[in-house]
Amino acid sequence: MQHGDLPIYSIGAVERMLGIPAATVRNWEERYGLVNPERSGGGHRLYTRAQVEQLRFVKERLDRGLQPAEAHRLLGERLERGVDFRATDDSEPAPRLLILLAERDPYAAEFAEFFLQTEGYEVVLALDADDAARKFEQLLPQLAVVELLVSGGTGAELCRRLKEAGVRACLAISALEARDQALAAGADAFLQKPLDPLQFVSTVKDLLGKSAFLQGAASR
Amino acid sequence: MSERLLSGHPRLDAVLGGGLPANAINMLIGLPGTGKTILAQQFVFANATLERPALYLATVSEPFDKILRYGQTLGFFDPEAVGRSVFYEDLGKVLNERGLSGVIEQVSALIKERRPAMMVIDSFKALSAYAEAADFRRFLHDFAGHVSAFPASSFWIGEYGEDEIAVAPEFAVADAIISLGTTRAAERETRSLRVLKLRGSEFAPGQHAYRVSANGIDVFPRLADAIDLTDYPLEGARHSSGIAALDEMLADGYWPGASTLCAGPSGCGKTLMGLHFIFNGVRQGEPGVLATLQEHPTQLSRILQGFGWSVDEEGVELMYRSPVDMYIDEWVYDLLEAVERTGARRVLIDSLTDLQLASPDEVRFREYMYSLVQRFSREGVSLFMTSELPDLYHVRRLSEFGVSHLSDNVVLLQYIRDEATVRRALTVLKTRASRHEPEIREFRISPEGIVLGDPFAPAQTFD
Repeated sequence: MQHGDLPIYSIGAVERMLGIPAATVRNWEERYGLVNPERSGGGHRLYTRAQVEQLRFVKERLDRGLQPAEAHRLLGERLERGVDFRATDDSEPAPRLLILLAERDPYAAEFAEFFLQTEGYEVVLALDADDAARKFEQLLPQLAVVELLVSGGTGAELCRRLKEAGVRACLAISALEARDQALAAGADAFLQKPLDPLQFVSTVKDLLGKSAFLQGAASR
Repeated sequence: MSERLLSGHPRLDAVLGGGLPANAINMLIGLPGTGKTILAQQFVFANATLERPALYLATVSEPFDKILRYGQTLGFFDPEAVGRSVFYEDLGKVLNERGLSGVIEQVSALIKERRPAMMVIDSFKALSAYAEAADFRRFLHDFAGHVSAFPASSFWIGEYGEDEIAVAPEFAVADAIISLGTTRAAERETRSLRVLKLRGSEFAPGQHAYRVSANGIDVFPRLADAIDLTDYPLEGARHSSGIAALDEMLADGYWPGASTLCAGPSGCGKTLMGLHFIFNGVRQGEPGVLATLQEHPTQLSRILQGFGWSVDEEGVELMYRSPVDMYIDEWVYDLLEAVERTGARRVLIDSLTDLQLASPDEVRFREYMYSLVQRFSREGVSLFMTSELPDLYHVRRLSEFGVSHLSDNVVLLQYIRDEATVRRALTVLKTRASRHEPEIREFRISPEGIVLGDPFAPAQTFD
């Protein structure tokens, strides 16, 4: 499965990435039926990267003054033609942003840290939940990557605390399929371990809203 | 783990319950020369891509250059891929200089650099010589931790015996264990593959024959179908079996899709009955496969000429295999393939005795024949099997390894001495779902076919 095909992003993350209210996204889904996210077992909507791109396409048309129906008609045409909405331009370097990585497995932490650093992120590592909360207060990272099994399975609680404390985005990870638990705890996205480096890094970029994926305006 | 890593060989993937679980630690074990390195490279070349390459790491037992030199003789080896999507690296140097901790550092660095989807260590067993037991366990824990934290499938190759599985700690870490070996029966050796462990997945248990060739490992999964209680359609209309004498003895005629065992001593007419079954079937619009282990095509052509038949006729498929060094499972896949390809409705197996001699043991043979007969029966393919009996006269038992229980019809051919002449006699011992005439009837082989003569008088029958 290619990265663009995986359902990863919550509707809240889509709202923040694109600036479209969640209610509007749901409304479009009902009315036009073009962008249909997968549902997690608990009923949460999960969008693929391609679907986020499709919604961005609609948003751009609205910004140019088109009506939603017209924008969706254009989207429908492109979908029929088989336009690849996954294609993105990742060439723009990521800015120097700080990421808090709460991971109990030192081997997994080593790889995750390495792959984030190679993309130009700064990483602060915490091996348990208390350490993570403390480092968050001290360093105010922009994004937190939280392993749900950290500190005996209190990762979801940590997600909730960090979101309340104002972290811009929280990416939950786990070896278990725990999308529901992650989304219920307020995580913006969920990835199952072991993490594929490309997918991991591009998800982080998307959540930070700093990737070319969100800013790019290459018209189709 | 629902994602699977396919070998590129559908029959092997079937044995593995749909391929290996992705990102697992797989151990390939077996003595030298069993094809472990070939199997690992098969997985490597079937799956490596530019984005998700493979790392092939040689340690100290298999010289690096040798792996490459022999590798390139294999059909699936792609020299273009080497250095692009398949990276061969030598761990021998770092191992000799810095021991196991050097290995961990180098492998970790290679994972970060190459981001592989697959990683082979050949040989993994050689690593255990570089540490005392406790240190090796520590290394193993550390190493397994590293490779499990990254989404890559590992293949650890080693010349382990199956008796080491309980003691060598690496087996506890493994998600899958595939053993390659040989089974001996008398002076005959058969290569066999066994899956000893496959975490979180069903697999086909038992020994599966395989061959190693330039195209890699070719597996013939043990034909052992579980009982299938679902209904299958039975053809309602009876046909002619193609053997006039048999049709006459079966009072209600012959059921299409039936299996018939024809047992008798040498020269009594079994093969000929089988040929009538096939060629007259073809004339009724039922294509047939003639699977013979007896007559060489040249000999067969001569026999066929006498009846105006030819193996080149449309609707006839000849499958001749020598029983020497034959694998019964390889043979059966060839047969199933021929039946599917030609749309055959009839199959002659000549003879069961040859097939049985190529089988590793009697239990296995019964299970195999059960599966084969069931498969054809469900498909509505009529099966005619010949079986050699050792006694020329006074047949006392059918030495056919339980196949008579499975068969719908059992026909006994025998010689009956009548003063100075020997005549041929036919008896229907069994028919399923049908009446039959329980007589011993003389039959003659004539250009018109196999026709019945008179019943024998009581004095001429079994003693």
